[in-house]
Amino acid sequence: MVNHQGLILRVYLYLIILTLTSAYIGSIDNVYLQGMEGVAVTGILTLTLLKGLQIVDVYMELKQAPRLWRNLLRAYVVLLPFTIGMIYILF
Amino acid sequence: MDNNKVLALNIKTATLGKQPHLPGDLAMWFFILAELTVFAIFFLGFAVTRQLYPDMFLRGQAYLHPVAGGINTIALISSSCLVALSLNAIKQLRRDYAAALLGGAMLMASVYLGVKSWEYSQLLHLGFGLSTNTYFTLYFFITAFHFMHVILGMIILGFMAVKTKNGGYQGASLSGFEAGACYWHMVDLVWIILFPLLYVIN
Repeated sequence: MVNHQGLILRVYLYLIILTLTSAYIGSIDNVYLQGMEGVAVTGILTLTLLKGLQIVDVYMELKQAPRLWRNLLRAYVVLLPFTIGMIYILF
Repeated sequence: MDNNKVLALNIKTATLGKQPHLPGDLAMWFFILAELTVFAIFFLGFAVTRQLYPDMFLRGQAYLHPVAGGINTIALISSSCLVALSLNAIKQLRRDYAAALLGGAMLMASVYLGVKSWEYSQLLHLGFGLSTNTYFTLYFFITAFHFMHVILGMIILGFMAVKTKNGGYQGASLSGFEAGACYWHMVDLVWIILFPLLYVIN
């Protein structure tokens, strides 16, 4: 059986880095964003989406799953942050 | 079927490798989808309400502890990693190592529960509760609902750890293990979306 330990640990590092990056973006004072708040929100939600995709594909092992289930979960982690982003930016 | 078609089919099968495999069992996946749907409704409701009452949400968010939220995120990501490593270990027939990793995952989950409980105690001490205002109603409701899922997940992980240690998954189907692991990853996935909503986007 193939050992996926290296892949799992690389994804872990990737998730931590993305978490710290989104936290950093969120900590930037609005004074410095100067009308770029929408970009910051988009950036944070994009990082969330990327993290979700890694959990679905690697940790849940849906990369090897039937396409229906893989696409269902991937659609969830893509559409939910996207919809939230649209609500925050457009309204 | 002529020899060329047989040869092509054999090459295709060898190239594609294994058949697609849905980890766990179907019942667990329907449960996971149901839970994800409920959380999606909560998240969208939170986002819409935030746009309706932006001042209230900004004032409420100021009382939260972003560092605590960050610790919780790292704790849950770490526990998810340990569960994934555990599944990998049991596939390598390393059951003691797999059980130890599950123990580590439960420890990380305990960190989450401890930090979250501390956050709740801080807010309750300041006089905030479910009935304070719409923001805190949503905050307590969504996070407490997630909190209960973490507790259930820990119970499942505990059961898996004991069964792994006793050799319960040795030589048998891993669908039970995979189902429990996928449930835990779902709990982590929900927090990964919840964390920026509550703590990061301001």
